[in-house]
Amino acid sequence: MNFLDVLKINGQCSIQDLGRLHSQHSGFSASGAADEYAFLSANQMLGNELNCAALEITFGQISLQAQHHCVIAITGANCAVKINNKSIKHWQVHQLSAGDTLSFSAPKTGLISYLAIAGGIQSKLWLNSRSQTLNEQSLGFNEEKIIISSKIPFGERTESITNTTNISQQSPDNFYQNETLTLRFIPQQLWQNLDNKQQQKILEQHYTVSPNSNRMGYRLSQLPQSALVQLPQTNQLSKPVTYGTIQLPKNGEPIILMKERQTIGGYPVLGCVMQTDLFRLSQLRPGEKVKFQPTTLLQAQQQLTAFYQRFN
Amino acid sequence: MIKAERISLSYISENALLVEWPEIICPQQHQQIIHFQQQVQTKLSDVIIDTVASYASLIIYYHFDKTTTVKLGHELSEIIKCLPLISAIANSEIIDIPVYYGLDSGWDIKFVSEKTSLTIDQVIELHSQTIYHAYALGFTPGFCYLASLAKQLQLPRRNSPRLSVPQGAVAIAEQQTAVYPTSSPAGWHVIGQTPMAMFNTENHDNDSNNQVSFSAAITVGQQVRFTAISREHFLDLGGIIHIEGNKKDIKESTKEKTS
Repeated sequence: MNFLDVLKINGQCSIQDLGRLHSQHSGFSASGAADEYAFLSANQMLGNELNCAALEITFGQISLQAQHHCVIAITGANCAVKINNKSIKHWQVHQLSAGDTLSFSAPKTGLISYLAIAGGIQSKLWLNSRSQTLNEQSLGFNEEKIIISSKIPFGERTESITNTTNISQQSPDNFYQNETLTLRFIPQQLWQNLDNKQQQKILEQHYTVSPNSNRMGYRLSQLPQSALVQLPQTNQLSKPVTYGTIQLPKNGEPIILMKERQTIGGYPVLGCVMQTDLFRLSQLRPGEKVKFQPTTLLQAQQQLTAFYQRFN
Repeated sequence: MIKAERISLSYISENALLVEWPEIICPQQHQQIIHFQQQVQTKLSDVIIDTVASYASLIIYYHFDKTTTVKLGHELSEIIKCLPLISAIANSEIIDIPVYYGLDSGWDIKFVSEKTSLTIDQVIELHSQTIYHAYALGFTPGFCYLASLAKQLQLPRRNSPRLSVPQGAVAIAEQQTAVYPTSSPAGWHVIGQTPMAMFNTENHDNDSNNQVSFSAAITVGQQVRFTAISREHFLDLGGIIHIEGNKKDIKESTKEKTS
């Protein structure tokens, strides 16, 4: 086995693949890469299988040293990345020789970067996935939390990648947007119960991403008071929740459930944000703004189909 | 009796469909949900990713590129039409969970006894005489929601949740009771502790990958009973009494010195 050694780390970093979608019935969070666009792009550039595990780095600030030669791709948030103190480009494939140091500093825009390695990270499998999950960290199911001196194992694949580097020049700009992110959502009953005026008020307003947002959920600033009167007053029985579920606790501050969500929840639900917008949302930092726009199931499915076609 | 018209389907996201029954906690209705879940898993296995059951609902995750909403809706309606009406719960095996209900292990048992105007013995008796139904798994790995708690024992959750309760804590809140499988934050009232593991993991050496499998002590749909055991019996079974605050935990090897 080959390794990348962690020399320095400040902030959150975990190993992620597409998660454990088949173990939710046992109460396990689905988990998985927060921004599938950046994650899948990195694997695609390397000619990896798309579900190969990569390092998900939140807000940069990590240094690694290669113990063996390897081929890597870096995508996602716009960190300044250096190999042996020499700046390198994002959304590209690079080679690391044994002894090379790779360092990420805090991104100028965006939040999450991915470091993928040709052949994929070969950490311990748990529920058929390598995704590390925060609330399971102490249970020792898969690879230990990444700290200074952690060794990140990767496969032996070292064959030439010349035929895959050509597609690495794709620009990510056509996926992420520069203006305020619009979260398109599939409405549920609670939304239908609001009258036109109340709905309009919700759609007109911009919402701020709270500092209490994480891989489990994104918390937003309060919905207009007039829209909250329809909230059920009594506790409801807990129901299964999914990726993108918009929960509405009594304080009126929506929580959008992300990859590390729980499997069931008791808060009233306004609707569900479409998945391609959730990948974009995962790149927003506290203080950034979003707005809402209802969409249809069909539109959401078409967008997601088109999204995955980019990677086939 | 649950009629098909009272079951609703909603396509809540690209690949998830929520099936809802009337909002009640009822073992018969839940048995029907579990039966439906098994039918869906078997009959539609080629399009199903996973299903998660809760008290009165079931989510179905499916490959939306392998079917259409119309086709899936039709297939689910057919299964719903043929669901048996369950009038009594089948006499399935009951899972027994031994509990040491003490003032040291039951951090809130005194509070519960005061709030409910019951003696501690009555609290223990009421909690252990009911046969509970397992409604849902969630919150943390192996955490199983059991109901329904005797009416006299029903209390709202704690005003401020604890940052940590120990592995094996047996707790109550509203109509529910549960065992915390691992040390975790908790808003429920702890009335005892069990030495029984709520899940097991097993290592399978598979190529170079260290594959681990997981099995929970309780499966959704099963029946569960708590049995009161003595402090000595608890320690003999390998239990460790976790005391609230900073005091030392008590285990078998230190029993002599502390008892």
